[in-house]
Amino acid sequence: MSEQVCFEDVAIGDVLPTLEVVVDETQMFLFSAATYNAHRIHYDKDWARDKEGYDNVLVQGPLQAALLARAVTDWVGASGRLVTFSVQNRATALPGETLLFGGTVTAVRGQGDGTGLVDLEIAGRRGETVLMPGTAIVSLPARAVIGAGA
Amino acid sequence: MTELSLIPDEVAARVGTEAARATGEVNRRDWQRWAVAVGDENPLWFDAEHARAHGYDDVICPPLYLQYAVLGVTPMSALRADGSSGAASGNLQFPDAPKRMAGGESTTFHLPAYHRDELTMVRVIDSIVEKHGRSGRFVLVTWRTTYTNQRDELVAEATTSMIARP
Repeated sequence: MSEQVCFEDVAIGDVLPTLEVVVDETQMFLFSAATYNAHRIHYDKDWARDKEGYDNVLVQGPLQAALLARAVTDWVGASGRLVTFSVQNRATALPGETLLFGGTVTAVRGQGDGTGLVDLEIAGRRGETVLMPGTAIVSLPARAVIGAGA
Repeated sequence: MTELSLIPDEVAARVGTEAARATGEVNRRDWQRWAVAVGDENPLWFDAEHARAHGYDDVICPPLYLQYAVLGVTPMSALRADGSSGAASGNLQFPDAPKRMAGGESTTFHLPAYHRDELTMVRVIDSIVEKHGRSGRFVLVTWRTTYTNQRDELVAEATTSMIARP
């Protein structure tokens, strides 16, 4: 297990580890099943092409969001917490494409209660194309708090 | 502008009203299936010992899964032609803008949710506006949603939007 990140360790401009994912149709099927989503655009190629004008079925927007949240919650660790998560669906993604999920620290403020809040600018991307821009606020523990228990 | 609005009057009249209300039980197996579909093997969702060692009572529901815990059952005959279900959003109909896409979501998480918590979602239509973007006209619908648990504690609150295009 990786070491818990604490808010004192974090500075504006720090970059989160990037999560790289190639979504395939099996993952899309499982995600639609897990979210009870029968929208044809995620499994019916003829519908996606002929009725909606896309090149292929589309990766679910909520799956992109979930992958982006995963990049954030992986980084904050078990003693950190996702407080606010905001994203916009800007562009579609297709199965087989390499997607990147990550973020950058934009603000850090200690709360005086053994935690600090960290603002992040986050994004799901395909190469240079931003598919899903957003922001998040996470809570991280203070080093003193973690030092006692971990 | 001589174009007719993409927003039917009867839909516009629903701004400010409750679009949907649903109650559902948070279920560990269901959130774990979702997490696996995301490739998200965070031990807080799977390993009770690990969760307890970090201050929780048990494994916790991934924050982004909360919205699915309240989903009900939609008969196949009630699905739209594109297979989607409007159940969670109040079945707003835009006959002149039938292509739907999730817009964005902003959620603040206040409390963890555990297996067998009973969540109640209340979703109110915040706004319905027609906009002009690079790819033409579209309708932007915004909802405000609260999630409370069986103790009437606010677990999360969200603003969600949807785009409908001609």
